[in-house]
Amino acid sequence: MLQALTTTLVVASLYALLGAGYVLVYRSSRVLNLAQGDLLTLGGYFLFALAAAFPGAPAVSLPLAALASALTGVVVYLVLMRPMAGHPVFAAVLVTVTLGILLRAGIVFVFTDRTRHPLQSLGLTNPPRALPGGAVVSTFDLVMIVTAATLFAGLFLFLRLSPLGIQMRAAGEHALLASQRGINFHGVFALSWALAAFAGGLAGMICSSNVRLEPSLDVLGLRAFAVALVGGLDSLAGVLPAAVIVAAVEVLSIRYGNPLLSDVSPFLCLLVMLLIRPWGLFGTREELERV
Amino acid sequence: MALGGGYFKTSHEADLAVVDTRLRRTALAVLVLALLVLPRVASSFVLDLASQAALAAIGALALNVLTGLAGQISLGHAGFLAAGAFTTAALVERGLASPLLTLPATALVGALLGLIVGIPSLRLKGLYLALGTLAMHHVVLYVAGEMQARAGGNTGFTIPPPALGSLVLRGTVGWYYALVLAAALVLVLVVNLQRSRAGRAWMAIRDRDVAAASVGIHVARYKLAAFVWSSVVTALAGTLFAYQRGFVSVEAFGFFLAIEYIAMIIIGGLGSALGAVLGAGLVTLLPYAIDAVVAALSPGAADYYIFPAKFGAFGLLMALFLVFEPLGLVGIWRRVRNWFLLWPFRHRPLRAS
Amino acid sequence: MSVLLELENVEVVYHHVATAVQGVSLSVPDRAIVALLGTNGAGKTTTLRAISGFLGGDNARVVAGRIAFRGETITGRPPHEIARRGLVLVPERDKVFETLTVQENLAALVPRGRRLVTRQQIFEYFPVLAERRRQLAGYLSGGERQMLALATALLCQPDMLLVDELSLGLAPVVVETLMRLVVRLRDELGLAVLLVEQNAAAALAVADAGYVLEHGRIVYDGSVQRLLVHEDIREFYLGVGHRADRKRYTDVKQYRRRRRWF
Repeated sequence: MLQALTTTLVVASLYALLGAGYVLVYRSSRVLNLAQGDLLTLGGYFLFALAAAFPGAPAVSLPLAALASALTGVVVYLVLMRPMAGHPVFAAVLVTVTLGILLRAGIVFVFTDRTRHPLQSLGLTNPPRALPGGAVVSTFDLVMIVTAATLFAGLFLFLRLSPLGIQMRAAGEHALLASQRGINFHGVFALSWALAAFAGGLAGMICSSNVRLEPSLDVLGLRAFAVALVGGLDSLAGVLPAAVIVAAVEVLSIRYGNPLLSDVSPFLCLLVMLLIRPWGLFGTREELERV
Repeated sequence: MALGGGYFKTSHEADLAVVDTRLRRTALAVLVLALLVLPRVASSFVLDLASQAALAAIGALALNVLTGLAGQISLGHAGFLAAGAFTTAALVERGLASPLLTLPATALVGALLGLIVGIPSLRLKGLYLALGTLAMHHVVLYVAGEMQARAGGNTGFTIPPPALGSLVLRGTVGWYYALVLAAALVLVLVVNLQRSRAGRAWMAIRDRDVAAASVGIHVARYKLAAFVWSSVVTALAGTLFAYQRGFVSVEAFGFFLAIEYIAMIIIGGLGSALGAVLGAGLVTLLPYAIDAVVAALSPGAADYYIFPAKFGAFGLLMALFLVFEPLGLVGIWRRVRNWFLLWPFRHRPLRAS
Repeated sequence: MSVLLELENVEVVYHHVATAVQGVSLSVPDRAIVALLGTNGAGKTTTLRAISGFLGGDNARVVAGRIAFRGETITGRPPHEIARRGLVLVPERDKVFETLTVQENLAALVPRGRRLVTRQQIFEYFPVLAERRRQLAGYLSGGERQMLALATALLCQPDMLLVDELSLGLAPVVVETLMRLVVRLRDELGLAVLLVEQNAAAALAVADAGYVLEHGRIVYDGSVQRLLVHEDIREFYLGVGHRADRKRYTDVKQYRRRRRWF
């Protein structure tokens, strides 16, 4: 029982990191970034490449990999999303799909689709830890939970209290109006994409150290968008409960159902949510009309 | 896109006409002739390519009616194809392989599925609808996967060629004619739909469904009709797909296939039947074109470069179209046409004096 | 008196095929209130958008002419750069951030260096906003929104305001209050204002000079005194006086048909 709970928390943290990326991008560009899963994979591969370049120096590889992910977000925005500024939302979402395709092709091209384990090059290990009550988690499971919690706390403070955060929310609501008030919304949006890619990259780094690294990890991204929708596409606060709910359903369906069912369970949650409360747990109702 | 120049249609017939100038009529005749004569001059590889393009065109036209005409964004198109193919497979498993049975059964299954998938569209729009259809697509694939795991053994189902009494449809030339004919039928159907009351209602719903409701269009009924129509045609295309390939397995119907179809209507041009056909042709030919290019550039390229190269080139092409010409090939065509129509003036002047 | 904003023969084209404004030249001197009048579809909003750098979204571009602010060319510059130079637009629609509170709206901007207006002064000009500080801007009434829009524009520390349809959707009393406020802002803060208005009477009541746009061209301009006595202006824009023998606009329009070959 406790094991199921802890596993749920770990899975929920992964989904929360990805979900934060979805919400950040949605609030700025009004786009569902369907390449978020590939940003996760990319983060893992950045870590792998840097760990191979600087073996045994995690203090160098980890921050550099995170930075590389953030920079990727900026580049993606400037090259791909900024030209889509006037186009309909649907087209911009498709551009993210093509981005995902390109990222995946690029990764397979450079790294082939063999399974990798960056942990070895990093010189770190992932020992299991026993929690009081009999549950067992790996070290990186705990790292995942802590990272997700810290990131969310940081984002809340930033968006609510700091001037740049208010500008980001303003630009997210109405970019042109923000521009007329002197806010360079391209800079602000690039920042939101950087943060989203950063969150995804972190998730990828932890995931690949925890389990393994291979190009097909991007399916996690598709499952996580169900989380973003269940919580409310424009609500950062909604991601947390949604992640827990979807993770719980998934863990339970592995236990009492079969693996195929657990693969499709986030989509079932998504469908249920769309039918009973399309704007999600904490999303704004008006969002339905804006798209 | 705005039509440059001072052309005005002055009668109802002119407004409804599909081919309205002499040049267009001649071009159409030439095209029909070329299609009929093609098997005499082309190799079977080319014919096979043409057949694939025709089959893709059927699905693209159906998706265009749903997304381009009625404005209901659907990312789960591959699910309908899979439904058609797997219904056929299920019937074949039970020994009912005749097309007289499978086609109506597929149509029925397609209609039901379209109805189910269409219900969220009554509440949702745009992005949310797209997500809903995507989720549905995964559910359909899950069901198909379960079916395959239980019955077909994990590799898939074999389908015998369709037979009506003693007439069996097999061979490249036979399938070419069958598929091109089917595609032509669907094209005529779609073009007529665009000019019909249903087509106008769909366009009204696409542009502003609240305004459409306020002029008396029964929005819910038409939305569901769009989904049902589109899914029936696509499911039938799935059956043809199953018969032509002779083999059905769930791997062929992943998310990428749905994206391919979306790419077809985007690259071709949203809302245009011509665009759907052009897009289908381009997307079908693309992998072969890339094969040819890669073979020409680096003859000994390792196989594992080919797959990401195709994948990547496809993504790049789609991205280029989305960023630079969201109205697709038809948009490019219209720009060229406007240039000719307006020449030597750059812009349409303010007053017709 | 120096000229703050100058347009020279500006031409704006939509979708590569439709000319919206052509040969538009106007100038706004320092500390002046200039009215830009016209009916629907005359090109007033297009002109304002061209000035404030707002055009790109509608596939429109400035294909000829020059727009200069303080002598520097600003044609085609992005909106945030133009705002930071001191030329701020108060738009016709979508004037405030509806999901932010009034307080946050007043913070969601990047002001220029020079300190012209403080927040305290803003609350003196608009006492209603002080009362509704913590309210979401989406719940404000039309008049309050217009005030919030003006307030945020002022907090950007501009030298000149472009006001698009100030009176749109507002009761006459509120329009009068706002117009008087605009005059006050000009007098106390030294702002220049370009007032784009369909409500010609309200605009001409406070302006120093005016331009009249029709079909994308300036058809008349001059000081307010000259405008107020002109026959056509009185009939078509102020609704005063009517002569039965004059041709109606719709009698003069014609189309020429061509045969389609392509």
